[in-house]
Amino acid sequence: MGVIYIGDRAAGKTHLAMELANPKSNYVKVTYPDYEILKALLYDNESESTKATDAVSSTHNRTLEIKVEIPTGYKQITLDWIDTPGEIWRKSWQSANQNEWKNFLETILKSEGILLILEPYREIIKPGADVNRDDFITEQQWCNRFNRWVEFFRYDCKQVRHLIICLNKADLFCDLDVDVSKLAYIPHRSQLNWQQRDAYVFQRYFRPLQPQIEQINKSVSGLSVRCFITSIHNRSLLELPWIYLASFLAK
Amino acid sequence: MGNICVIGPRGSGKTTYLAALAYKNRTMGKSNFFKIIPLNDDSRKLAEKAENIICYGESLEPTVIGQEIQTVDDLPYYSFNLEIKKHWLANQESFQLNVRDYPGEVFEKIADPTISDNIYEEFINECLMKDVGGCLILLTAWDKADDSFYSQVMSRFIKLMDSHGRTNDLRLAVAMSKCERGELWPGRLDPETDLFGLHLPRTRAILRDNIAPQNIRFYAISTFGVLRRTDPRPNRTNEQGKSGKASVLREAPRWQPYNMIEPLYWLGKTTKAKGKVK
Repeated sequence: MGVIYIGDRAAGKTHLAMELANPKSNYVKVTYPDYEILKALLYDNESESTKATDAVSSTHNRTLEIKVEIPTGYKQITLDWIDTPGEIWRKSWQSANQNEWKNFLETILKSEGILLILEPYREIIKPGADVNRDDFITEQQWCNRFNRWVEFFRYDCKQVRHLIICLNKADLFCDLDVDVSKLAYIPHRSQLNWQQRDAYVFQRYFRPLQPQIEQINKSVSGLSVRCFITSIHNRSLLELPWIYLASFLAK
Repeated sequence: MGNICVIGPRGSGKTTYLAALAYKNRTMGKSNFFKIIPLNDDSRKLAEKAENIICYGESLEPTVIGQEIQTVDDLPYYSFNLEIKKHWLANQESFQLNVRDYPGEVFEKIADPTISDNIYEEFINECLMKDVGGCLILLTAWDKADDSFYSQVMSRFIKLMDSHGRTNDLRLAVAMSKCERGELWPGRLDPETDLFGLHLPRTRAILRDNIAPQNIRFYAISTFGVLRRTDPRPNRTNEQGKSGKASVLREAPRWQPYNMIEPLYWLGKTTKAKGKVK
């Protein structure tokens, strides 16, 4: 069983996975490898950011062992975390590195779940956020870029059962406290169930992608598409996609 | 000990039905006269899925031929022990049921007479083996086009039964699933007339004409049920983006399935009686 991590450049994939391993956790614990080791491997202290994932080899295989507490007890997921460099999605890269691209497609074919990490678009970023808005692509560009994903899911991911779309850097576009109080997972006492969470997130943050997501739903049978928002600054949001996946995939 | 196959088109709720069954002791409380206990790992896992997934407002993954299921031997095999005490004075009956959950695509392929794919043939052969006592057929759609499709599938299935020598000893429990739907709920009391006779007349006619009356029964099943006795709204909400076909449980604490065990009881009881005759 494999879960694969994909996304455009600088969407925050590596940082998300690294933060997941942070020992200060609620229901999701990365039991292997250790947070400090992962941090030393992926984090550049000088620039205070994660190192850009190298595009030379198409995929970086790391095994993460994750223990998730779900209603019927603990589940252990061993997952092949394949961190792809953002460049891999460029046509120029694909034609220049045909072998790597082929390897990557083969890995995808075997995986059951895909986590697609997206970064927010310019218009959604709330006023006063401590970032340069011009660093983010516009809504139109964001939608165009997603069209490429639609093609990819329709033609290259026929086997995948779960597609999880995470709109990352949630702290930049939502009121974390409000959304977390709605979405948080509390065993047997959650305010919303999975369906309602998906609807809540979808209605608020994924509206521009509605036609595309409908298209994926229609054309890949047996696939369920779920939308999440994630942020490295909030443990509850960070864990949600994994708790969701564990309910299905954990053996 | 009864071996039972569950077949039906894709998305007719076969796995969800079985999951609810495995989880039933916890959803129905103790006052019920039926008691069902999951016996093997597969059925216990299914009960866990009901708790982790269905109760939390999600739908189960479809059972498909592909990665995990390559041949009939990979199909999950659910064992249950069924205890029945019909009323206070009756003796308790108890028997074991082994249920196989078939991928929906197998059912849909039955209609294709030029079946060339080995894998489907293998599945159908397995389903019609001598040691299978009965088939639970879950149907879900109820318009004219579906009636014509179902009747094609059933007439071909009857031919296959014949070629396997099972025409006289395979029992068929034909059930309309998801009967919590408003249009169907009132028809649940006499499903043969008010569900099959009304919505799927051709399918019913084919089955009635070709199967001995003691070997066929029609049922109405609702895995999710309705909200309350006085509030017959379906206990389900449509899943987003799936154009109303898929749905999830609406209020987990009110989960009360309808008529889930009766068809299995009938199928299991007959196979048990047959066992005694031998």
